[in-house]
Parts: sequence; C-alpha cells; structure tokens
Amino acid sequence: MVEPAVALFGGAYEEASRVLEELLRESGARYALLLDRKGFVLAHKEALWAPRPPALDSLATLIAGNAAATQALAKMLGEPRFNELLHQGSAFGLYVEEVGELALLVVIFDNTAPVGRVKLYGKRAAQALEPITKDAVVNPGQVGIDSEYRDGASALLDELFGN
Amino acid sequence: MSTINFAAREINFKIVYYGPGMSGKTTNLKWVFQQVPENRKGEMVSLATEDERTLFFDFLPVDLGEVKGFKTRFHLYTVPGQVFYNASRKLILRGVDGIVFVADSAPNRLRANAESMRNLRENLAEYGIKLEDIPIVLQANKRDVPEALPVEMIQAVIDPEKRLPIFEAVATTGVGVFETLKAVSREVLSRVASAG
Repeated sequence: MVEPAVALFGGAYEEASRVLEELLRESGARYALLLDRKGFVLAHKEALWAPRPPALDSLATLIAGNAAATQALAKMLGEPRFNELLHQGSAFGLYVEEVGELALLVVIFDNTAPVGRVKLYGKRAAQALEPITKDAVVNPGQVGIDSEYRDGASALLDELFGN
Repeated sequence: MSTINFAAREINFKIVYYGPGMSGKTTNLKWVFQQVPENRKGEMVSLATEDERTLFFDFLPVDLGEVKGFKTRFHLYTVPGQVFYNASRKLILRGVDGIVFVADSAPNRLRANAESMRNLRENLAEYGIKLEDIPIVLQANKRDVPEALPVEMIQAVIDPEKRLPIFEAVATTGVGVFETLKAVSREVLSRVASAG
C-alpha cells in the first residue's frame, strides 16, 4: 500500500520521547506530540506543570486533517507543502512543523512561552525526529500481527458488536 | 496502512465511510457512538455545517480491546458526500485500511450511488490504490424508504461483478450498522495478518 506504516518502539521511541521532553523544557510549551500524517499519535509528552490536555485522538485527527488541507492549498500555489503552520489565539497557540514525509510535530503553548522560542526549538526537534521516524517504517507482519492476532481481534469484534 | 505504537502497545486501523450525499454515513457513526460503551470509545468529532451536513469529516475512535498484548483501535471516518467537496473528500482517504460504501436505496439516488463509486475509484487511483487492493464492504442503506430499490439493482450499478459483500441497513434505527462494521473490520484484520 502507498502509505507506509510507521511503528515507533524501543530505542527509537525512547529517543523520540527524549526529543519531545527537551523541546518542552527549552521552549516552555505545554504539550508536544509526534503524529503520523493519518492522525495517529506516535509519541507525546506533557509538561508536568500543565493541566491535563484535551482528547489527544481528537487533537491529532484535526491537526492531520488541517495539515492535509493546507498541503492541498500549497500545491495549488505551486509549493509541494507548507513546512510550518502557526495558529495563534489570545491565550493559546499551536505550532505544527513537518517531520519528513510521514510525520508531524505539534507543539501547544500558552502565552508564557514566546513564539520565537517555540519555533526555534520546534524546528530543531523536527530535524532530530526526522531520521527517527524514517527508520521506524515497518511491515506489520514483522511484529506479530498473525492469524492468531486476527482470530483474537475477531472474537473481540463479536463481543463488542454482538453476533 | 495500520499504525503501530509499541510504546503504548497499540495497533490502529483507519476505516472510511464513503458514499453519495445524504446516504447516511454520519448516521452510521452516530449509531456506533450511541451504542458502544463509554470505556470503549473516544470523543466523536464532527466538522459539519449548521444544517448538519458533513463539511470535512466525522471521526470516532473505537477501542476493540487487547489482543496478544496489543490494544487494537479502529478510527472511523466519514467523508462529505456532496459532489463539490471532492478536494476534502480525497484527503480523508489518505492511509485508509478499509472502506464502507454507504449507498442510498431511494429510487432517485441510484445515479448518485454510481457517480460516488466512480469518484471513489478515481480518488483511490490518485493514491495508487485499485478497488481490488483494499477491503470494501457495501451497505444498501435506507431500506425503509417508500419504493426502496431492490438491493440487486443498487449492486448492479456500484458493483456489477458482485465481488463485494453487501449488507442491508436502516442506519437511523441501527439495522445492519454493526454487521457492516464487523464485516469490514474482519477483512481489514485478515488483510493485515496475511500481509505478514
């Protein structure tokens, strides 16, 4: 299939988490997420001082949808894509930087974090994350998704949706 | 393709509900959302106009449970069905693992069903995917409308070779909604398992 599967685990996941952690510390932002372009969360970190974040699945889906829409806009203007997106409200801001072809870095910050800092450290983090996500592309067959998995999941389908 | 998050030990699949405008894609998702217990679902996100027509997409994450140590989740999406929203419709198809095509049984929507299937084929082709490459399940919805067309007639225009499974449904009352979702989920799972 065209869209490769990204699987972040083990050392690569640790490394990605470390990059996100450092990004939060340096920028003063609240939350940092690494998403794939389909809107699935690959890794995320929250600053300890920040309140609980909104539903991450919804966030990730909307951001991926938004990034896809702006990419389509960019193409109409003769650009392959926009590398960064910045949304700024009165109290909160959202910064999205692309991480290679497959992933997006998302930083959510409030007005205690200067935008310039978020952008500077966001770009650095995106550069650090790019090789990590590139190496994380796998074939699901390598990771134990087999007929046993299929039968187990199938039984759960019956349990959830009835026979 | 599916996304695997080992740290959270999660496997994610993307299922998209496709079909012509007003055929009942959002209604399918709303029924699933109503019926699935609280601890098995996330928030439903709807980007709709004021008259509740889908503008960009609807989104609903559903937790299947744990299999072989992996949390398995299905992310359900709908597309906007109206013809002029093709640019955003195409975006939703990115990385899709399985498709439910919701056809409308009303006699005056037969042509719209055919056009939407053709549009699906064209949009998938832009991602380099052929209809045969991806699990697709058909749903003949609105079986309760007066003078609903025979299922065979609907099938004849959207799947003349009768390759795809078809389910009858009345999404407003939940008839056929889970059967359709189960069928597409099973096909997605067996596709992934055999790819290994």
